[in-house]
Order: sequence, then structure tokens, then C-alpha cells
Amino acid sequence: MAADTQFEKETEQVQDNWSGGNEPMKASYGKLMMWYFILSDAFTFAAFLITYAALRMSSEIWPDPNAVFNSMPFTHARLPLGFVTVMTFILILSSVFVVRAVQEGHRFNQKGVLLWMFLGIVGGLGFLGCQAWEWNHLIHQGLTLQSNPFGYYTTNEVVEGQTVDVFKGYVNLAVDEETHALVLGEDAVSTKGEAVPAEAKWHQGNWLFGCLFFFITGFHGFHVTTGVLLNCMIWIQSARGVYQRKRNYEMVEKVGLYWHFVDLVWVFVFLAFYLL
Amino acid sequence: MASGHHDNEAYEKQKKAVWVATAIMGVVTIAEVAIALNWPEGWGRGVLNLLFILMSAVKAIFIVGEFMHLRYEMRAMMISILAPCLFLIWFLIAFMMEGESWAQLRHFWGA
Repeated sequence: MAADTQFEKETEQVQDNWSGGNEPMKASYGKLMMWYFILSDAFTFAAFLITYAALRMSSEIWPDPNAVFNSMPFTHARLPLGFVTVMTFILILSSVFVVRAVQEGHRFNQKGVLLWMFLGIVGGLGFLGCQAWEWNHLIHQGLTLQSNPFGYYTTNEVVEGQTVDVFKGYVNLAVDEETHALVLGEDAVSTKGEAVPAEAKWHQGNWLFGCLFFFITGFHGFHVTTGVLLNCMIWIQSARGVYQRKRNYEMVEKVGLYWHFVDLVWVFVFLAFYLL
Repeated sequence: MASGHHDNEAYEKQKKAVWVATAIMGVVTIAEVAIALNWPEGWGRGVLNLLFILMSAVKAIFIVGEFMHLRYEMRAMMISILAPCLFLIWFLIAFMMEGESWAQLRHFWGA
């Protein structure tokens, strides 16, 4: 009899293990799998950012971020990297709010989860709004998948008996209102404020810049959008008291992991496009 | 809900750790932008880039360690997640070398 019960017990244990009941790393199946999904997503993002690194290394001249990202809504003042700093803060804070939601979940404090998750969602939407503004602004400046207004100018100089184009400085081009082509604006000055000499030849910036910028920040923005939707689902489930009844708020933690990952990726996007 | 004195203490400690991490990340971000805007031209781009990479690494460590709580998980779990990322270092170096080679080829063939 005893052997039978022992056998039954073991069978039950094995079945339980195979249905995900085993916790080899003291983390639940769902949480572990969320981590491994994040790991694979990190490789996807790394592949994109490494593509950016390779293409940038292969170009002699690349736009200077301080001259590209210097606009701010509601003001015409030039504030290099000002707006993106605000965006970074919004995303970091949103991440922190979700950490607080997870902590309140551990204490089964439904109201706390709802409040902090709500703030996290607001932060995510704020970030998306900022990104929409930035994209719109850059497109109006003439940055598209094919054209790049963040150009440069060269002059002909004789080097070792040969006439070559020598890089002189960066200049932001303007969009012609009629032809929509990029042109050197009247009294255009270099990004350092020097006048562009009349004999200088101007060039568009590398067209890869726009492709990579829109593709990589777009892919990140897509992740943010997904994250906001997931956070909304968690908020609704919490409000309905689903986790309270189950006495288990782990879903908040799992979706929180994804949300922090979105913040983590932004650290590297910020590094690649705005700092280096 | 009835959390004992000990639980409450741990909760307050965790809460504090998160706000400290937030403050550090905020300061690092401001420092990054301040350095980017005020770096004297003669000081070399290489040092500046190295600084940016180190500062971003600090932020990444806080996000993964504190926010994602990986610092408090089992060692085996940490290794299973972080070790595969080591491949990315070689991935990055290899492709940067590749990019440089493309630049040389383009220069050589005048394209």
C-alpha cells in the first residue's frame, strides 16, 4: 500500500514538473521565460545597433548629434540634446513607477499597484508623444529615408600636387519650398557659426543616418507601444481584482521586466545616436 | 496584508534602494549631456566616447540589477542570462572592424 501511494506521489510530482511546476532557479516558469524572451530580444536590438556601428565606421563623415538634435517644442532656442534628456527622464521615471507597482504587488496592496501602474502608463505615453514630436520635426527639417539635411561642406585644395575636396565643417541644409529638394539656405552658417565660403561645395549628409535613425528608434518605439498596451492590460486585471483573488501579483512583475527592458534599450539607443 | 515588522523593514529598504538607483541614473544622464556639450575640442574624441560608454554601462547595471531585480536572483539564473551577452562583445568588435574595412575598400576603389 505504502509503495502505491509513494508511486502515485512521484507520478504526480513528475506530472507537475512537466507542466512547469518545477522551479530550478527559484523563479517561476513564466518569469524565467520572460527573461529568456528578453535575452533574445536583446540580441535583436544588439544586431541593429551593431549594424549601425558597422555602417557608421564605414562612413568618413557622420552628422554631429549636437547639431542634429537641438530643437525643443514651444521655443526656437537651440538647446542641443535638451529634448532627448527630457525624454530619457520620462522613460526612467516610468520604469521606476512600475518598480513601485511590483513592490506594492508583493504586499498585496491593490490600490498601490493601480496608482503606480497608472503613472507608469502615463510616462510611457508621454515618451511616445515626445518621440512623435521629434520624428515630425526631423521629417519637416528634411530627414527622410533617402535624404539627410545634416550635411557638410568642402573646398578644393591642392594636397601633394593633387586637387582634392577637403572637409571644412558641418552645415544644416534647408528644404526648398517649391522643389522639396535640399538646398544650402541663404546666409547659411556652419554648425560652429562660421560663414560658408562662396567657393565651397556643399554635400548632403550620409543618407544611412536617416534610415538607421528611423528604423532603430522606430523599432524601440514599437516596443514602447507594446509595453504600454501590456501595462494597460495589467492595470485592468488588477482593477478587476484578478490578482488579489489569486493572491499572486507575479504578472505585474513579468510585464514589469519587459517594461524595464524597453528602458534598458533606450540607454543604448541614446548612447549610439545622441552621444557618440 | 498583515506584514510583520521584518517584512516592513525589508520593504522600506527596497523602496529606498530603488529611489537611490533613480537618483544615480538621473545624475549620470545629466552628466553625460553636460560633458557632451562642454567637451573641449583638443581633448580627443576617443576619451569622450570611452566615458560615454562607461556611463551608459553604469545605467545599464542599475536597470538590470535593481529595476529588473537580477542582482537578487539565484547565481545560476544570473549567469544563464548574462553569459550569452558576452557574445555581443565580439559581435560588436568584429563588425566595427568590418566597417573599417568597408571604408578602406571604398577609399581604395574611389566609390
